[in-house]
Amino acid sequence: MKSLLSATILLVLATPAVGRAQWLKYPTPGIPRLADGKPNLKAPPPRLPDGKPDFQGMWFANVPSRDNCRTGDCIQEERMAREQINIGTRLQGGLPYTDWSREQMKERRANGGREDPHTYCMPPNYPRAWTLPQYQRIVQTPSMMVVLHEFNDAYREIYLDGRPLPENPNPTWNGYSTGRWEGDTLVIETNGIRDDMWLDIQGSPITESARVTEKLRRINFGIMQVEITVNDPKAYTKPWTVTVEMAIQVDTQMLGEICIDNEQDVKLYKK
Amino acid sequence: MKTTLATIFALSLALAPAALAHHSQSEYDSRKKVEVEGTVSKVEWKSPHAWIHVDVTNDKGEKVNWHFELPSPNTLMRRGWTRDSLKIGDRIKVTSSPARNFPDIGIATSIKDAQGKAFFTGVTEIYEPEAESKSAK
Repeated sequence: MKSLLSATILLVLATPAVGRAQWLKYPTPGIPRLADGKPNLKAPPPRLPDGKPDFQGMWFANVPSRDNCRTGDCIQEERMAREQINIGTRLQGGLPYTDWSREQMKERRANGGREDPHTYCMPPNYPRAWTLPQYQRIVQTPSMMVVLHEFNDAYREIYLDGRPLPENPNPTWNGYSTGRWEGDTLVIETNGIRDDMWLDIQGSPITESARVTEKLRRINFGIMQVEITVNDPKAYTKPWTVTVEMAIQVDTQMLGEICIDNEQDVKLYKK
Repeated sequence: MKTTLATIFALSLALAPAALAHHSQSEYDSRKKVEVEGTVSKVEWKSPHAWIHVDVTNDKGEKVNWHFELPSPNTLMRRGWTRDSLKIGDRIKVTSSPARNFPDIGIATSIKDAQGKAFFTGVTEIYEPEAESKSAK
Protein backbone atom coordinates (compact mmCIF):
# COMPACT_ATOMS: atom_id res chain seq x y z
CA MET A 1 0.00 0.00 0.00
CA LYS A 2 2.78 2.35 0.98
CA SER A 3 4.69 1.83 -2.24
CA LEU A 4 1.47 2.35 -4.19
CA LEU A 5 1.00 5.62 -2.32
CA SER A 6 4.55 6.67 -3.04
CA ALA A 7 4.12 5.81 -6.68
CA THR A 8 0.96 7.88 -6.81
CA ILE A 9 2.67 10.84 -5.18
CA LEU A 10 5.55 10.47 -7.58
CA LEU A 11 3.18 10.51 -10.50
CA VAL A 12 1.32 13.53 -9.21
CA LEU A 13 4.57 15.41 -8.66
CA ALA A 14 5.93 14.52 -12.04
CA THR A 15 2.80 15.24 -14.04
CA PRO A 16 1.52 18.76 -14.62
CA ALA A 17 -2.00 19.12 -13.32
CA VAL A 18 -3.50 19.78 -16.74
CA GLY A 19 -7.13 20.72 -16.57
CA ARG A 20 -7.39 20.20 -12.87
CA ALA A 21 -6.55 23.27 -10.88
CA GLN A 22 -9.10 26.01 -11.51
CA TRP A 23 -8.66 27.41 -15.03
CA LEU A 24 -4.90 27.18 -15.14
CA LYS A 25 -5.07 25.49 -18.54
CA TYR A 26 -8.43 26.72 -19.77
CA PRO A 27 -8.39 28.00 -23.37
CA THR A 28 -8.78 31.75 -23.78
CA PRO A 29 -11.57 32.42 -26.29
CA GLY A 30 -11.33 34.89 -29.15
CA ILE A 31 -7.57 34.99 -29.62
CA PRO A 32 -5.68 34.37 -32.87
CA ARG A 33 -4.51 30.78 -33.14
CA LEU A 34 -2.38 28.73 -35.48
CA ALA A 35 -3.62 25.62 -37.23
CA ASP A 36 -2.34 23.48 -34.38
CA GLY A 37 -4.38 25.46 -31.87
CA LYS A 38 -1.46 27.29 -30.31
CA PRO A 39 -1.82 31.07 -29.89
CA ASN A 40 -0.50 33.01 -32.86
CA LEU A 41 1.87 35.30 -31.02
CA LYS A 42 3.02 36.97 -34.23
CA ALA A 43 -0.50 37.99 -35.24
CA PRO A 44 -1.11 41.74 -35.65
CA PRO A 45 -2.02 43.71 -32.53
CA PRO A 46 -5.75 43.48 -31.87
CA ARG A 47 -7.80 46.68 -31.94
CA LEU A 48 -10.86 47.97 -30.12
CA PRO A 49 -13.97 48.92 -32.12
CA ASP A 50 -12.76 52.56 -32.12
CA GLY A 51 -9.60 51.46 -33.92
CA LYS A 52 -7.22 52.01 -31.01
CA PRO A 53 -4.78 49.24 -30.14
CA ASP A 54 -6.23 46.78 -27.65
CA PHE A 55 -3.84 46.02 -24.81
CA GLN A 56 -6.24 43.75 -22.97
CA GLY A 57 -5.04 40.45 -21.66
CA MET A 58 -2.72 38.99 -19.04
CA TRP A 59 0.92 40.02 -19.15
CA PHE A 60 4.19 38.89 -17.60
CA ALA A 61 7.75 40.08 -18.20
CA ASN A 62 9.03 38.51 -21.42
CA VAL A 63 11.51 36.19 -19.75
CA PRO A 64 12.01 32.67 -21.05
CA SER A 65 11.99 29.72 -18.70
CA ARG A 66 15.37 28.08 -18.36
CA ASP A 67 16.83 25.22 -16.44
CA ASN A 68 19.52 25.70 -13.87
CA CYS A 69 21.70 22.62 -13.84
CA ARG A 70 24.52 23.99 -11.73
CA THR A 71 23.84 21.63 -8.89
CA GLY A 72 23.55 18.49 -10.96
CA ASP A 73 19.81 18.27 -10.64
CA CYS A 74 18.17 20.57 -13.12
CA ILE A 75 15.95 23.09 -11.43
CA GLN A 76 13.63 25.19 -13.52
CA GLU A 77 14.42 28.75 -12.61
CA GLU A 78 11.69 31.10 -11.64
CA ARG A 79 11.12 33.62 -14.39
CA MET A 80 11.98 37.15 -13.44
CA ALA A 81 12.75 40.39 -15.23
CA ARG A 82 16.34 41.54 -14.82
CA GLU A 83 14.95 44.94 -13.98
CA GLN A 84 13.40 43.49 -10.85
CA ILE A 85 16.80 43.65 -9.18
CA ASN A 86 18.18 46.80 -10.81
CA ILE A 87 15.70 48.70 -12.93
CA GLY A 88 18.58 50.41 -14.75
CA THR A 89 20.40 47.18 -15.52
CA ARG A 90 20.32 47.75 -19.29
CA LEU A 91 21.20 51.44 -19.10
CA GLN A 92 24.63 52.40 -20.34
CA GLY A 93 26.36 53.66 -17.20
CA GLY A 94 23.43 52.69 -15.00
CA LEU A 95 20.91 54.96 -13.32
CA PRO A 96 22.01 58.60 -12.91
CA TYR A 97 21.68 58.64 -9.13
CA THR A 98 22.01 61.85 -7.19
CA ASP A 99 24.39 61.65 -4.23
CA TRP A 100 21.43 61.17 -1.89
CA SER A 101 19.77 58.40 -3.87
CA ARG A 102 23.06 56.60 -4.52
CA GLU A 103 23.72 56.46 -0.80
CA GLN A 104 20.19 55.22 -0.20
CA MET A 105 20.56 52.49 -2.77
CA LYS A 106 24.01 51.39 -1.61
CA GLU A 107 22.93 51.14 2.00
CA ARG A 108 19.80 49.22 1.09
CA ARG A 109 21.76 46.86 -1.09
CA ALA A 110 24.37 46.33 1.61
CA ASN A 111 21.50 45.41 3.94
CA GLY A 112 20.34 42.78 1.52
CA GLY A 113 17.17 44.63 0.63
CA ARG A 114 15.64 43.81 3.99
CA GLU A 115 13.80 47.13 4.29
CA ASP A 116 12.11 46.69 0.92
CA PRO A 117 8.44 47.69 1.30
CA HIS A 118 7.64 44.79 -1.00
CA THR A 119 9.07 42.38 1.57
CA TYR A 120 6.63 43.84 4.07
CA CYS A 121 3.76 43.08 1.69
CA MET A 122 3.15 46.70 0.75
CA PRO A 123 1.26 47.27 -2.51
CA PRO A 124 2.91 46.77 -5.89
CA ASN A 125 3.88 50.26 -7.05
CA TYR A 126 4.27 51.29 -10.66
CA PRO A 127 6.50 51.50 -12.58
CA ARG A 128 8.23 48.81 -10.48
CA ALA A 129 5.12 46.63 -10.63
CA TRP A 130 5.76 45.88 -14.33
CA THR A 131 8.88 43.94 -13.29
CA LEU A 132 7.42 41.85 -10.48
CA PRO A 133 6.96 38.10 -10.94
CA GLN A 134 3.19 38.07 -10.92
CA TYR A 135 0.66 38.30 -13.73
CA GLN A 136 -1.08 41.55 -14.59
CA ARG A 137 -4.30 41.96 -16.49
CA ILE A 138 -5.16 45.02 -18.56
CA VAL A 139 -8.81 45.93 -18.94
CA GLN A 140 -9.43 48.72 -21.41
CA THR A 141 -12.31 50.93 -22.49
CA PRO A 142 -12.12 54.10 -24.60
CA SER A 143 -12.10 56.25 -21.43
CA MET A 144 -10.26 54.08 -18.92
CA MET A 145 -7.50 51.51 -18.62
CA VAL A 146 -7.31 49.39 -15.49
CA VAL A 147 -4.31 47.23 -14.66
CA LEU A 148 -5.00 44.43 -12.23
CA HIS A 149 -2.00 42.95 -10.44
CA GLU A 150 -1.93 39.55 -8.78
CA PHE A 151 0.24 40.80 -5.94
CA ASN A 152 -2.15 41.80 -3.15
CA ASP A 153 -4.99 41.71 -5.71
CA ALA A 154 -4.10 45.29 -6.56
CA TYR A 155 -5.41 47.65 -9.23
CA ARG A 156 -4.28 50.78 -11.03
CA GLU A 157 -6.47 53.24 -12.92
CA ILE A 158 -5.33 55.17 -15.99
CA TYR A 159 -7.82 57.80 -17.17
CA LEU A 160 -8.11 58.17 -20.93
CA ASP A 161 -10.87 60.82 -20.86
CA GLY A 162 -8.65 63.83 -21.37
CA ARG A 163 -8.55 65.05 -17.78
CA PRO A 164 -5.40 66.85 -16.63
CA LEU A 165 -3.08 65.47 -13.98
CA PRO A 166 -4.03 66.71 -10.51
CA GLU A 167 -2.13 69.59 -8.97
CA ASN A 168 -0.48 68.93 -5.61
CA PRO A 169 -2.34 65.63 -5.10
CA ASN A 170 -2.28 63.50 -1.99
CA PRO A 171 0.58 61.07 -2.75
CA THR A 172 -0.33 57.42 -3.25
CA TRP A 173 1.46 54.16 -4.05
CA ASN A 174 0.70 54.41 -7.76
CA GLY A 175 0.13 58.12 -8.06
CA TYR A 176 -2.38 59.53 -10.55
CA SER A 177 -2.28 58.49 -14.18
CA THR A 178 -3.74 59.84 -17.40
CA GLY A 179 -3.20 58.48 -20.90
CA ARG A 180 -3.32 59.95 -24.40
CA TRP A 181 -2.78 58.44 -27.82
CA GLU A 182 0.16 59.29 -30.05
CA GLY A 183 -0.69 57.17 -33.09
CA ASP A 184 -0.76 53.58 -31.85
CA THR A 185 1.25 54.41 -28.72
CA LEU A 186 -0.54 55.01 -25.44
CA VAL A 187 1.37 57.67 -23.52
CA ILE A 188 0.68 57.52 -19.79
CA GLU A 189 1.71 60.37 -17.49
CA THR A 190 1.83 59.91 -13.72
CA ASN A 191 2.41 62.21 -10.77
CA GLY A 192 1.52 62.12 -7.08
CA ILE A 193 3.73 59.12 -6.21
CA ARG A 194 4.54 58.60 -2.53
CA ASP A 195 7.91 59.79 -1.39
CA ASP A 196 10.88 57.43 -1.36
CA MET A 197 9.36 54.33 -2.87
CA TRP A 198 11.58 51.54 -4.16
CA LEU A 199 11.97 50.86 -7.88
CA ASP A 200 13.85 47.58 -7.53
CA ILE A 201 15.18 45.08 -5.02
CA GLN A 202 18.46 46.93 -4.63
CA GLY A 203 16.51 49.96 -3.45
CA SER A 204 16.74 52.56 -6.22
CA PRO A 205 14.42 55.32 -4.96
CA ILE A 206 11.62 57.22 -6.59
CA THR A 207 10.27 60.28 -4.79
CA GLU A 208 7.32 62.59 -4.54
CA SER A 209 9.00 64.89 -7.06
CA ALA A 210 8.81 62.25 -9.78
CA ARG A 211 6.94 62.53 -13.04
CA VAL A 212 6.73 59.20 -14.83
CA THR A 213 5.93 58.67 -18.50
CA GLU A 214 5.09 55.20 -19.76
CA LYS A 215 4.69 54.52 -23.47
CA LEU A 216 2.77 51.34 -24.24
CA ARG A 217 3.20 49.79 -27.66
CA ARG A 218 1.67 46.49 -28.68
CA ILE A 219 4.19 45.12 -31.13
CA ASN A 220 2.07 42.13 -32.06
CA PHE A 221 -0.41 39.85 -30.35
CA GLY A 222 2.30 38.36 -28.16
CA ILE A 223 4.43 41.33 -27.13
CA MET A 224 3.85 44.68 -25.47
CA GLN A 225 6.65 47.15 -24.87
CA VAL A 226 6.50 49.42 -21.86
CA GLU A 227 8.92 52.31 -22.25
CA ILE A 228 9.37 53.94 -18.85
CA THR A 229 10.82 57.42 -18.40
CA VAL A 230 11.43 58.66 -14.87
CA ASN A 231 11.98 62.36 -14.34
CA ASP A 232 12.74 62.71 -10.64
CA PRO A 233 15.16 65.57 -9.90
CA LYS A 234 15.47 64.62 -6.23
CA ALA A 235 16.64 61.08 -6.96
CA TYR A 236 18.26 61.35 -10.42
CA THR A 237 20.48 63.94 -12.05
CA LYS A 238 18.60 63.62 -15.34
CA PRO A 239 15.57 61.79 -16.74
CA TRP A 240 16.23 58.19 -17.72
CA THR A 241 14.36 55.70 -19.87
CA VAL A 242 14.20 51.92 -19.78
CA THR A 243 12.01 49.51 -21.70
CA VAL A 244 10.43 46.43 -20.18
CA GLU A 245 9.04 43.90 -22.62
CA MET A 246 5.92 42.05 -21.59
CA ALA A 247 4.63 38.76 -23.01
CA ILE A 248 0.95 37.87 -23.33
CA GLN A 249 -0.23 35.03 -21.10
CA VAL A 250 -3.11 33.02 -22.53
CA ASP A 251 -5.03 29.83 -21.78
CA THR A 252 -4.68 30.44 -18.05
CA GLN A 253 -6.00 32.74 -15.35
CA MET A 254 -5.01 35.32 -12.76
CA LEU A 255 -4.29 33.85 -9.34
CA GLY A 256 -4.71 36.13 -6.36
CA GLU A 257 -1.77 36.50 -4.03
CA ILE A 258 -2.46 38.21 -0.73
CA CYS A 259 1.02 38.64 0.64
CA ILE A 260 0.17 39.24 4.28
CA ASP A 261 -1.68 35.92 4.39
CA ASN A 262 1.43 33.96 5.38
CA GLU A 263 4.36 36.38 5.35
CA GLN A 264 7.20 34.77 7.29
CA ASP A 265 10.36 36.30 5.86
CA VAL A 266 10.51 39.59 7.73
CA LYS A 267 11.35 37.86 10.97
CA LEU A 268 14.16 35.93 9.28
CA TYR A 269 15.99 39.17 8.52
CA LYS A 270 16.24 39.85 12.24
CA LYS A 271 18.71 38.31 14.59
CA MET B 1 33.38 22.59 -11.87
CA LYS B 2 33.22 22.66 -8.13
CA THR B 3 35.84 25.38 -7.96
CA THR B 4 33.92 27.46 -10.45
CA LEU B 5 30.80 27.01 -8.41
CA ALA B 6 32.61 27.96 -5.24
CA THR B 7 33.95 31.03 -6.96
CA ILE B 8 30.50 32.03 -8.12
CA PHE B 9 29.12 31.54 -4.66
CA ALA B 10 32.02 33.45 -3.12
CA LEU B 11 31.26 36.34 -5.44
CA SER B 12 27.71 36.56 -4.25
CA LEU B 13 27.19 39.62 -2.10
CA ALA B 14 24.63 40.44 0.51
CA LEU B 15 21.92 40.78 -2.08
CA ALA B 16 21.61 37.11 -2.75
CA PRO B 17 19.20 35.21 -5.00
CA ALA B 18 16.28 37.37 -5.82
CA ALA B 19 13.97 35.16 -7.74
CA LEU B 20 11.24 34.87 -5.21
CA ALA B 21 8.08 36.83 -5.28
CA HIS B 22 8.43 39.31 -2.48
CA HIS B 23 11.85 39.46 -0.88
CA SER B 24 15.54 39.54 -1.66
CA GLN B 25 16.44 36.17 -0.09
CA SER B 26 19.46 37.73 1.60
CA GLU B 27 18.18 36.20 4.85
CA TYR B 28 19.49 32.91 3.46
CA ASP B 29 23.13 32.00 2.92
CA SER B 30 23.23 30.85 -0.68
CA ARG B 31 26.88 29.77 -0.29
CA LYS B 32 25.81 26.94 1.99
CA LYS B 33 23.85 23.86 1.14
CA VAL B 34 22.17 21.66 3.69
CA GLU B 35 20.58 18.36 2.76
CA VAL B 36 18.22 16.61 5.11
CA GLU B 37 15.92 13.63 4.82
CA GLY B 38 12.74 13.32 6.78
CA THR B 39 8.98 13.12 6.92
CA VAL B 40 6.65 15.94 5.99
CA SER B 41 4.87 17.10 9.16
CA LYS B 42 2.99 20.12 7.82
CA VAL B 43 2.36 21.91 4.53
CA GLU B 44 1.46 25.61 4.39
CA TRP B 45 0.02 26.32 0.96
CA LYS B 46 -0.40 30.07 1.27
CA SER B 47 0.90 33.31 -0.23
CA PRO B 48 3.38 34.78 -0.51
CA HIS B 49 5.33 31.52 -0.14
CA ALA B 50 4.50 27.92 0.51
CA TRP B 51 6.31 26.32 3.44
CA ILE B 52 6.88 22.69 4.22
CA HIS B 53 7.87 21.39 7.63
CA VAL B 54 9.85 18.19 7.88
CA ASP B 55 10.65 15.98 10.85
CA VAL B 56 14.32 15.04 10.66
CA THR B 57 16.41 12.85 12.92
CA ASN B 58 19.83 14.43 13.33
CA ASP B 59 23.23 12.79 13.86
CA LYS B 60 22.63 12.65 17.61
CA GLY B 61 19.39 10.78 17.14
CA GLU B 62 17.33 13.81 18.11
CA LYS B 63 14.15 14.71 16.26
CA VAL B 64 14.31 18.17 14.70
CA ASN B 65 11.54 19.92 12.82
CA TRP B 66 12.98 21.74 9.78
CA HIS B 67 11.09 24.52 7.99
CA PHE B 68 11.58 25.08 4.27
CA GLU B 69 10.43 28.01 2.19
CA LEU B 70 9.21 27.39 -1.35
CA PRO B 71 8.04 29.74 -4.12
CA SER B 72 4.51 31.06 -4.04
CA PRO B 73 1.69 28.55 -4.42
CA ASN B 74 0.82 30.39 -7.66
CA THR B 75 4.28 29.81 -9.10
CA LEU B 76 4.19 26.18 -8.01
CA MET B 77 0.74 25.62 -9.50
CA ARG B 78 1.93 27.06 -12.80
CA ARG B 79 4.69 24.45 -12.68
CA GLY B 80 2.20 21.66 -12.19
CA TRP B 81 2.25 21.31 -8.44
CA THR B 82 -0.98 21.16 -6.49
CA ARG B 83 -1.67 21.75 -2.83
CA ASP B 84 -1.72 17.98 -2.47
CA SER B 85 1.63 17.34 -4.17
CA LEU B 86 3.33 16.96 -0.81
CA LYS B 87 1.38 15.44 2.03
CA ILE B 88 1.94 14.86 5.71
CA GLY B 89 3.83 11.61 6.06
CA ASP B 90 5.67 11.81 2.74
CA ARG B 91 9.32 10.85 2.98
CA ILE B 92 11.50 13.42 1.18
CA LYS B 93 15.02 14.74 0.84
CA VAL B 94 15.40 18.50 0.78
CA THR B 95 18.42 20.53 -0.26
CA SER B 96 18.32 24.08 0.97
CA SER B 97 20.27 27.23 1.64
CA PRO B 98 19.99 27.76 5.40
CA ALA B 99 18.77 30.92 7.10
CA ARG B 100 21.69 33.03 8.31
CA ASN B 101 20.28 33.81 11.74
CA PHE B 102 17.95 30.96 12.59
CA PRO B 103 18.52 27.23 12.95
CA ASP B 104 16.52 24.57 11.13
CA ILE B 105 15.15 26.95 8.52
CA GLY B 106 16.10 26.98 4.86
CA ILE B 107 14.99 27.92 1.40
CA ALA B 108 14.48 24.75 -0.61
CA THR B 109 16.41 24.44 -3.82
CA SER B 110 15.68 20.80 -4.48
CA ILE B 111 13.19 18.27 -3.22
CA LYS B 112 13.53 14.57 -3.90
CA ASP B 113 11.29 11.69 -3.10
CA ALA B 114 12.41 8.64 -1.16
CA GLN B 115 13.82 7.10 -4.33
CA GLY B 116 15.99 10.14 -4.98
CA LYS B 117 14.04 11.51 -7.91
CA ALA B 118 14.35 15.29 -7.93
CA PHE B 119 11.53 17.75 -8.36
CA PHE B 120 12.14 21.39 -9.04
CA THR B 121 11.02 23.99 -6.58
CA GLY B 122 11.39 26.86 -8.97
CA VAL B 123 13.89 28.61 -6.76
CA THR B 124 16.77 30.16 -8.62
CA GLU B 125 19.97 28.93 -7.14
CA ILE B 126 21.83 32.18 -6.91
CA TYR B 127 21.74 35.78 -7.96
CA GLU B 128 24.99 36.88 -9.48
CA PRO B 129 25.27 40.61 -8.86
CA GLU B 130 25.95 42.69 -11.89
CA ALA B 131 29.52 43.65 -11.07
CA GLU B 132 28.47 46.03 -8.32
CA SER B 133 26.29 47.79 -10.87
CA LYS B 134 28.29 50.25 -12.92
CA SER B 135 26.13 53.06 -11.62
CA ALA B 136 26.89 52.32 -8.00
CA LYS B 137 30.47 53.52 -7.85
